[in-house]
Amino acid sequence: MASKPLDFGKIIMLDGAMGTVLQSRGLPPGGVPELLNLERPELLREVYHDYIAAGSDVIYANTFGANALKLRRTGKGVAEIVSAAIKLAKDAASGTDVRVALDIGPLGELLEPMGTLPFERACELFREVALAGAAAGADLAVIETMTDLYETKAALLAVKENTDLPVLVTMSFEESGRTFTGCTVASMARTLTGLGADAIGLNCSMGPDKLAPLLRELCENTPLPVIAKPNAGLPDPVDGHYDMDAASFADTLAPMADAGVSVFGGCCGTSPDYVRGVAERLKRRPVVKREPKRESFVCTPVMPLPITGVRVIGERINPTGKKRFQQALLENDMDYILDMAVQQEDAGADILDVNVGYPGVDEAAMLPRVVKELQSSTALPLMLDSSNAAALEAALRVYNGKAAVNSVNGDEAVLSRILPLIRKYGASVVGLCLDQNGVPQTAEQRFEIAKRILDAALSCGIPREDVWIDCLTLTVSAQQEQARETLKALRMVREELGLQTVLGVSNISFGLPNRALVTRTFLIEAMHAGLTLPILNPNLTELMDAVAAFRVLSGEDESCRAYVERFADCEPPKTSASNIAVKKEKTAQSAALTLDDAVVRGLKTEAAALATELLKTETELSLVDAHLIPALDKVGEGYEAGRVFLPQLLSAAQAAQAVFEVIRARLAERGGESVRRGKLLVATVRGDVHDIGKNIVKTVLENYGYDVVDLGRDVPPEAVVNAVREQEIHLVGLSALMTTTLAAMEETVALLRQLPDPPKVLVGGAVVTPEYARRIGADYYAKDAKASVEIAREVFGQ
Amino acid sequence: MEPNVDEILRYLRVRGEAPEPLRAQVETAARELADSLPPRYVYRAFPLAWGGDGVTLAGSGVTLTGDLAKKMLQECDRAVLLCCTLGMEFERRLRALERRDMGKAVILDACGSAWVESGCDAAEREIAERFAPRCLTDRFSPGYGDLPLALQPAVLTALDARRRLGIHLSDSFLMTPSKSVTAVIGIADTPQPARVRGCGYCAMKMTCDYRKGGTTCGV
Repeated sequence: MASKPLDFGKIIMLDGAMGTVLQSRGLPPGGVPELLNLERPELLREVYHDYIAAGSDVIYANTFGANALKLRRTGKGVAEIVSAAIKLAKDAASGTDVRVALDIGPLGELLEPMGTLPFERACELFREVALAGAAAGADLAVIETMTDLYETKAALLAVKENTDLPVLVTMSFEESGRTFTGCTVASMARTLTGLGADAIGLNCSMGPDKLAPLLRELCENTPLPVIAKPNAGLPDPVDGHYDMDAASFADTLAPMADAGVSVFGGCCGTSPDYVRGVAERLKRRPVVKREPKRESFVCTPVMPLPITGVRVIGERINPTGKKRFQQALLENDMDYILDMAVQQEDAGADILDVNVGYPGVDEAAMLPRVVKELQSSTALPLMLDSSNAAALEAALRVYNGKAAVNSVNGDEAVLSRILPLIRKYGASVVGLCLDQNGVPQTAEQRFEIAKRILDAALSCGIPREDVWIDCLTLTVSAQQEQARETLKALRMVREELGLQTVLGVSNISFGLPNRALVTRTFLIEAMHAGLTLPILNPNLTELMDAVAAFRVLSGEDESCRAYVERFADCEPPKTSASNIAVKKEKTAQSAALTLDDAVVRGLKTEAAALATELLKTETELSLVDAHLIPALDKVGEGYEAGRVFLPQLLSAAQAAQAVFEVIRARLAERGGESVRRGKLLVATVRGDVHDIGKNIVKTVLENYGYDVVDLGRDVPPEAVVNAVREQEIHLVGLSALMTTTLAAMEETVALLRQLPDPPKVLVGGAVVTPEYARRIGADYYAKDAKASVEIAREVFGQ
Repeated sequence: MEPNVDEILRYLRVRGEAPEPLRAQVETAARELADSLPPRYVYRAFPLAWGGDGVTLAGSGVTLTGDLAKKMLQECDRAVLLCCTLGMEFERRLRALERRDMGKAVILDACGSAWVESGCDAAEREIAERFAPRCLTDRFSPGYGDLPLALQPAVLTALDARRRLGIHLSDSFLMTPSKSVTAVIGIADTPQPARVRGCGYCAMKMTCDYRKGGTTCGV
């Protein structure tokens, strides 16, 4: 029998704590509360009856930890526990209007990238819970006490994709306004609203007093009903009792109804008395109407980005016309792509465009993979740039936060393929002002297409502020009159439709000398015409300078603070004569610095510049053998002798890496093979999740020119063996940090030994000793990163 | 609360006098960390019950086995469980820096190790004040001496540390965030001597890098 839907037009009372109530009624510390569904049903019946009597409209079934990970040591299955729990709650609610919620809490393991549980696995685990809950007849699902937005997304997708249940989602925040994983209230609100939750809110962590400002922020950032389910204050460190009584809890929480909160309950430390107190104060109160902010927005959990001014989209993650990038894609060289991201972030980009489409690349596999890697290295929101629907869906699925998609156009077929994805994952979308007939030549025609795209998006259920329009930049040297049309169309879209506008500005100057000047002038004109989202290369300082100046003139940069900071060290303008003098002086300084010195002193930028210079007269190989390796050896000897310390060793290694990057880019341009001295694999063994030691070894080896395959941390023995087989690896480096993970190292070595042509194995890490290395059958023990280079030399030859 | 620069340099395996630029770099990094990322901690006190298999913290589900706990808590009637962490924000900063400059990353890593210890010191001062005029033992941690690392799950559960501090534990008892510490502190009526300092009690004594290099970590 389908139950009546929850009426969000009224104040809704949820229940109070389950865990702390069970503890006060005899659950031992460390016990598994979900087992009580089978072992002590009468206890749960009592709790449900008490909450119903206290005025709860919804009771949470005792399924908070009923997932396969948390139950694995109990010998009980998810379906068994969930159906028993729901049945108990439904029995208690029978004959009333009270709804029973399937309660879904965190899985208890950290998701990637901070942890090791893959997103897809989390989705499967939640799917099992959601299916069991729906089958048992739950009226709704609640996802609660979440601190990781990624895990929350997995749970929400699992409920929405596998059941028809309405779903309430609450997360736990600290006083700082962030969750433990750094998620902000705005990021949470916008992401979950976009993903289709029915109501969202905050639970646990603090009392209602401390939660109030965060609830207000939440109310501003979502049109959905807002839930408040706080703790009864904070626990006392001596006796563990929560410090707020039922009356003061209700007195503090009830006024949140004035701010527009409409769903109430209690978490840890509360009891039926607390619920009764709030219910008495709020029953028959009307729900206060709110006016949430309607603004364009993209985000990652840690970086909310309202589009309330000019936001720069970095264009560098794109293989078009870039040989080195194409090579990186074909070779799965993620580090190169991640460096592009980091450089743009440091240069001031607000959003990164991500395009990995290239012949020979499986975009549907590559785009989600690159998105995951990028999100582990940069906090910036991403714009997924592809016309491949499968690639977009896969990437939108694994994206953590609210993404943008680039792009759709006025072609009906494209709109009907892509817009449903935008709607499902709550992304923003860029609409290009062209269609199956090509690029219209007049501003009015482009504006018509923009309107068509907007209408299609609105009728698909995508909010207006999530539609961004690109009026298209054409090359001014080829179609001179089109620059004016583009700017005119831009102004019309901005003024008449009020939408955000996107424009790739670099194209404008193609084929002209001094391109930067034309590009910059066009950028400035476009911003004045209403461009809010320029796509450009943020590494070009003159473009970013123009954006900084525009933000001052538009009033966005309040008190010119960012501008002053950016140019604080700026020298006053020089006449051209004194400019030349300065240039000469700088040349003289760099002439004194040799490549070898730059590497030894760890000067990255200088080393790269000097290498570019030297390559005019020397070959790549002689550069490596005559300069780079001797310089690194000099640093290495100093390190051995205790004159140079680890941070300096690593800085030198990274200066060498910058030189290698110069060499790789040159070879890629010529279409040649990369310089590699031998390929080896590194991994931190299963169970070990801390990997700075392994990363140090990798940095140093790479900078001696070795090709390092990095399997990451917590790597199962089988994964090492498979990689060795597939990639024909002859040297494997394993790291273990804890005595508890040494067994995994031993197991990995034993498995490798069984291969027909076993690789050499080197081991290291805090708890590993030379004796231990011998005993488990490793070929080498490396006491530090420098020693691993000696071993690589021995294995691969000089 | 001040960062301990000498300790950070020791974590970086700097023997003797550190070169001035390195010392300055470490000071800057430590100061920046101290100014922007306060350690967070929770603790809770439990009465002690002595039994056949060790010292039980009544009502916590934790029983401390082995000689170390017995010796440390011999004059105590209560013990405090403590957990202190720098949180995920530290992990994020460290990862971001690893991608940009590995040299700076190892410095930050060492600063983090020292800073979470400073956080424990601050918690200890707060506990001392709360229980004054009673006296505290030195703090000691699972994995030290013969106090098993396998106690970690029970200790973290007793403190509700996953919910209250966001601490996750792997099957091999590693905590994430990495800069996290759990500890036990005994409470007694009389001043407590330092009972377990030195390498003799340390579980790392066979593999410790300091000892390999002929020095000690100073504990």
